[in-house]
Amino acid sequence: MHPVLPTKWWSLFSLSYPGWPCFFSFTKGVLQKCCQIHSDSSAMEELATEKEAEESHRQDSVSLLTFILLLTLTILTIWLFKHRRVRFLHETGLAMIYGLIVGVILRYGTTATSGHDKSLSCTQEDRAFSTLLVNVSGKFFEYTLKGEISPGKVNSVEQNDMLRKVTFDPEVFFNILLPPIIFHAGYSLKKRHFFRNLGSILAYAFLGTAVSCFIIGNLMYGVVKLMKIVGQLSDKFYYTDCLFFGAIISATDPVTVLAIFNELHADVDLYALLFGESVLNDAVAIVLSSSIVAYQPAGLNTHAFDAAAFFKSVGIFLGIFSGSFAMGAVTGVVTALISFLSLTGADVTKFTKLHCFPLLETALFFLMSWSTFLLAEACGFTGVVAVLFCGITQAHYTYNNLSVESRSRTKQLFEVLHFLAENFIFSYMGLALFTFQKHVFSPVFIIGAFVAIFLGRAAHIYPLSFFLNLGRRHKIGWNFQHMMMFSGLRGAMAFALAIRDTASYARQMMFTTTLLIVFFTVWIIGGGTTPMLSWLNIRVGIEEPSEEDQNEHRWQYFRVGVDPDQDPPPNNDSFQVLQGDGSDSARGNRTKQESAWLFRLWYSFDHNYLKPILTHSGPPLTTTLPAWCGLLAQCLTSPQVYENQEPLREEDSDFILTEGDLTLTFGDSAVTANGSSGSHTASMSLEGGRRMKSSSEEVLERDLGIGDQKVSSRGTRLVFPLEDNVRLPAQSPE
Amino acid sequence: MERKQRFMSEKDEYQFQHQGAVELLVFNFLLILTILTIWLFKNHRFRFLHETGGAMVYGLVMGLILRYATAPTDIESGTVYDCGKLVFSPSTLLINITDQVYEYKYKREISQHNINPHQGNAILEKMTFDPEIFFNVLLPPIIFHAGYSLKKRHFFQNLGSILTYAFLGTAISCIVIGLIMYGFVKAMVYADQLKNGDFHFTDCLFFGSLMSATDPVTVLAIFHELHVDPDLYTLLFGESVLNDAVAIVLTYSISIYSPKENPNTFDAAAFFQSVGNFLGIFAGSFAMGSAYAVVTALISFVCQLLFPLTPLCHLTKFTKLCEFPMLETGLFFLLSWSAFLSAEAAGLTGIVAVLFCGVTQAHYTYNNLSSDSKMRTKQLFEFMNFLAENVIFCYMGLALFTFQNHIFNALFILGAFVAIFVARACNIYPLSFLLNLGRKHKIPWNFQHMMMFSGLRGAIAFALAIRNTESQPKQMMFTTTLLLVFFTVWIFGGGTTPMLTWLQIRVGVDLDEDQKEEPSSHQEENNLGKSTTKSESAWLFRMWYGFDHKYLKPILTHSGPPLTTTLPEWCGPISRLLTSPQAYGEHLKEDDVECIVNQDELAMNYQEQGTSPCSPPGEDQKASPHTPSKENIYEGDLGLGSYELKLEKTLSQSQLN
Repeated sequence: MHPVLPTKWWSLFSLSYPGWPCFFSFTKGVLQKCCQIHSDSSAMEELATEKEAEESHRQDSVSLLTFILLLTLTILTIWLFKHRRVRFLHETGLAMIYGLIVGVILRYGTTATSGHDKSLSCTQEDRAFSTLLVNVSGKFFEYTLKGEISPGKVNSVEQNDMLRKVTFDPEVFFNILLPPIIFHAGYSLKKRHFFRNLGSILAYAFLGTAVSCFIIGNLMYGVVKLMKIVGQLSDKFYYTDCLFFGAIISATDPVTVLAIFNELHADVDLYALLFGESVLNDAVAIVLSSSIVAYQPAGLNTHAFDAAAFFKSVGIFLGIFSGSFAMGAVTGVVTALISFLSLTGADVTKFTKLHCFPLLETALFFLMSWSTFLLAEACGFTGVVAVLFCGITQAHYTYNNLSVESRSRTKQLFEVLHFLAENFIFSYMGLALFTFQKHVFSPVFIIGAFVAIFLGRAAHIYPLSFFLNLGRRHKIGWNFQHMMMFSGLRGAMAFALAIRDTASYARQMMFTTTLLIVFFTVWIIGGGTTPMLSWLNIRVGIEEPSEEDQNEHRWQYFRVGVDPDQDPPPNNDSFQVLQGDGSDSARGNRTKQESAWLFRLWYSFDHNYLKPILTHSGPPLTTTLPAWCGLLAQCLTSPQVYENQEPLREEDSDFILTEGDLTLTFGDSAVTANGSSGSHTASMSLEGGRRMKSSSEEVLERDLGIGDQKVSSRGTRLVFPLEDNVRLPAQSPE
Repeated sequence: MERKQRFMSEKDEYQFQHQGAVELLVFNFLLILTILTIWLFKNHRFRFLHETGGAMVYGLVMGLILRYATAPTDIESGTVYDCGKLVFSPSTLLINITDQVYEYKYKREISQHNINPHQGNAILEKMTFDPEIFFNVLLPPIIFHAGYSLKKRHFFQNLGSILTYAFLGTAISCIVIGLIMYGFVKAMVYADQLKNGDFHFTDCLFFGSLMSATDPVTVLAIFHELHVDPDLYTLLFGESVLNDAVAIVLTYSISIYSPKENPNTFDAAAFFQSVGNFLGIFAGSFAMGSAYAVVTALISFVCQLLFPLTPLCHLTKFTKLCEFPMLETGLFFLLSWSAFLSAEAAGLTGIVAVLFCGVTQAHYTYNNLSSDSKMRTKQLFEFMNFLAENVIFCYMGLALFTFQNHIFNALFILGAFVAIFVARACNIYPLSFLLNLGRKHKIPWNFQHMMMFSGLRGAIAFALAIRNTESQPKQMMFTTTLLLVFFTVWIFGGGTTPMLTWLQIRVGVDLDEDQKEEPSSHQEENNLGKSTTKSESAWLFRMWYGFDHKYLKPILTHSGPPLTTTLPEWCGPISRLLTSPQAYGEHLKEDDVECIVNQDELAMNYQEQGTSPCSPPGEDQKASPHTPSKENIYEGDLGLGSYELKLEKTLSQSQLN
């Protein structure tokens, strides 16, 4: 069931870097040739090769440096813009502009040098090997396969060395740059409004993408026919190509719009709808495009309709999607289990927990999430999709098990990665407009594509919203629909999909068109968001932030998108909270009614079984599972859950302990005998207070505070500060 | 027909894709396993096996499995092409295979006798990766992190000793190891284990230089955990960090030593060229690294300095780069990376540049960052360091079995063991003796023994050895290095705790340092501490301190006295322009600060301004009986009421341990 991609994609890595494809392909250029710099042979020609290799290493460094400096420049300018509250240009747009400028300089400022290519005809073998040993006058040289070159292009294999240097292997995007972006998106999806609108979001993402793909594909087919009549088409362009274009261009990526929404505090429902749609959209578009590529009719005519092949494609789509979904979800669950077990397991040993080593926790989190990607790739699924669902699952379950510090660490880590990767991609886009050497500009096709994406977007939003409104209580208002229609920006995902394969004429034309569409949408539509919002009368600044809040929010924007919803105390309708305590049943009912029965079912299953198994929140399993599973339930339930349960019934909770402190109460009380309690209690209560503020999300979920337990836990908690002190220097090297 | 073939090659790709991901997965799972084990160990307070040791063990196990449990599959690169048309090896090769053109990229030269292993086990071949990855991907974060965390108050105090150990010591160690190994090589030639002329003196020196890079991560981790005497810690840490830089550059200069006529005789011109190379590269990398860090400091400084002053900012209350910690962190990361790339682009050593960039960043930029960014950058680099270090050690374990060109030579290995001990002794004891002549605080015997004992070899030695494994001597060196790393990390690393007790080295000392640092951002000098610290360091460093404190710190950071007071009169306008308003503010505030806390910044001690000491010396005296270490007090600690409590805790903690 492997998607049979025509691109040489993974092989490119594994061939040049046996063993470490993903990790190292990013520095591909840098590393390519340096391994022989130090070979101490004295032959003259080898010296020449060595020199050349060293030279190439330097050039690689220079080209990478160019990107880094571009990013630095972008950051500085963004900062200036933020400073002046300039909203018409987002950082991604800016990155593209800088990329364009550098692209122009590279294109026209450097002289074209010729590469040292040599064509060689070898007929001994009938297929290409990954590594080649070539015997050149008694010496053996190892060559690695870089790629397949379509016939006819042999002569034009990148003449300009400099331009070639700044051109990255397209698979870098899929294996290095996109995963952090997508994971971050998934990880920050945990919005309270996301689950409320899950039905609509899924409808938009799946149906909408399919609709948009077909409409764009059909329109483009018309355009292509037209071009054929006019005689502007110089090579083949099939219907599947049009559909493929429809699939890649259906991946919307409204980062710009979302950033502005976040800053202006636009309506949360609209935000959740747009964000959720765009995230899931990407996943659908990736799988859709790869299944369109896999569509291969059996007959002689490879581009006629063939029902069997069509259903096979559909099967591939479903298979890959569900496979990636399962893979991502499973790894997320495994991570949750590990972090969960390391909490409960530690109970038995009565020693410190993984919590005390946030570095280990973070590393584990990172590695597990990365494993998801690799595992999916190894099994032939789509790694990016798996990573997305892994991110969602991690946010839903694992996040609750992490210590407070690890939470902020993981968030910050992925945030930085996301930020760098995103800006890198956008500046590369700007660069690619000039440095990419096989552009095919076709005005008719480009105009057709612009018309098609708007029509596709319209045909996707309005009818679906109409149908959804039939079933929704909170109707999606007209202004929301217009805004969603307007926010159909294209971004990193469309670009990455388009650049993946630029071998044929049709694909090159698609790539050029995609690039232009991305530019246009990011600059024009992104810049027009603020006027559009006011024109459509969409509520802005709903949360009525006080001055402090405003500071906080502006600041939080740079952290993770999750924050604004998570950090304020959940006295508004956060879903988990509602499920968590039966006390506030009125609100619970409301939320329940808002979602369809399917999701209600899932919620209750999630809440009753999954949450207790995987995290420390929710009711104990012993109460939710039927009686005959009692034993199983007992061993799966963490003792904390019981304690969580008790305080909910007790009313006098004046001192709320949060999750972080909770784990401490299981310390061995015998260790407390080491005296000097006074100072610790003081510091602990300070710490408790701090935590109370910082992780308020869980407060209601699992708060716990009883008069007499407080005393006892104070005694036991003495263990912790001691070890905390030991640990502190270890993790904050000065 | 065409379709079918295409399908074939697609299937091939699938195979590769599968393989590539699987190998990475293997490493990922090894790391996950390592993390879980470390966690267990930390829980049970096992100190005899450090995480790096654990990673090596897992790597070994995995290597064993791969080596003996997988069937040797036929690798495809078996075919050797004979192309008479080629006279030299081009960088790109276009090959036309049945009308399909493939592009091949030059990878490396393979010597004659290595061809067979290349045709061996495909899986083993896959698990071996390009050695340059160490230098370009894995080592930079480790080294940067080391530099970034060098900012210890004791580091600058012991700067002279550290530099001596790092430079002179490494040179001595390199030469001693080289000579001893040359002797063993001669013996091997006698014993007919080696052909004459295979192993030159330069090779021995090369081995000596790569073996001189000590890397006592294990020991340092234990020191950190046990809070061993900070002076010892700093000496070891500083030495090992600078050591790496010296060893890398030294190795490079030895490898390019190529006399004109006979490549292995002594040639004065070539020798001096090598020395010049060494100095040039080292100085260049140093300059490059610090320049980038200074630029970063300036950017972050200017960003903070200029914009709060503009009326717009006051109006909108929109503020500094500090407000966007992510941008700050991103900038910091990118500029540090630029230092590496620029150095590489300029033909210098990127790793050395990154090291000094880290040191300078910690010294200047760190002070300009917002507290959130401080934490973020620290955590980010800590995380990267952790992952990279464990990957390297994991790979080391793996390489023992998967690397296919091992040459085990018992005599050579034995010789190497002897040589590194002798060389370490020749490095530590005489240098310590010389240093003790000039030091006020002598380096006692037990410290010297401990330093002698902590001569572990680690990632750098391995990376340097694996960089070139083409010739037979180099392969022998690689194997020996690998074994030495194993031995030292497991045995020495495991023996650190017993050794510490046996040598009666104080434990549980520097806890106070970390606790004092948080409460206040105002730093003040203490007259007593100032004078003692001053006299402790040599005049050269005193001069540097003065310069640093009076001019560099005020220009680059918000601390230190305002420039207007330190610069001569005629530079008045410039100094006013360059001084941040905060510096004035802090200057004024300092007078009425209640308690001083931060000892972290040694440079603060050199404040020349006559701001009054915040607390009378009497209190200082009062606090001293409580301190477990006499030295710390003299170095300028102030004990106030709350401080005593914490010290008690320190004591109890050390008893607990």
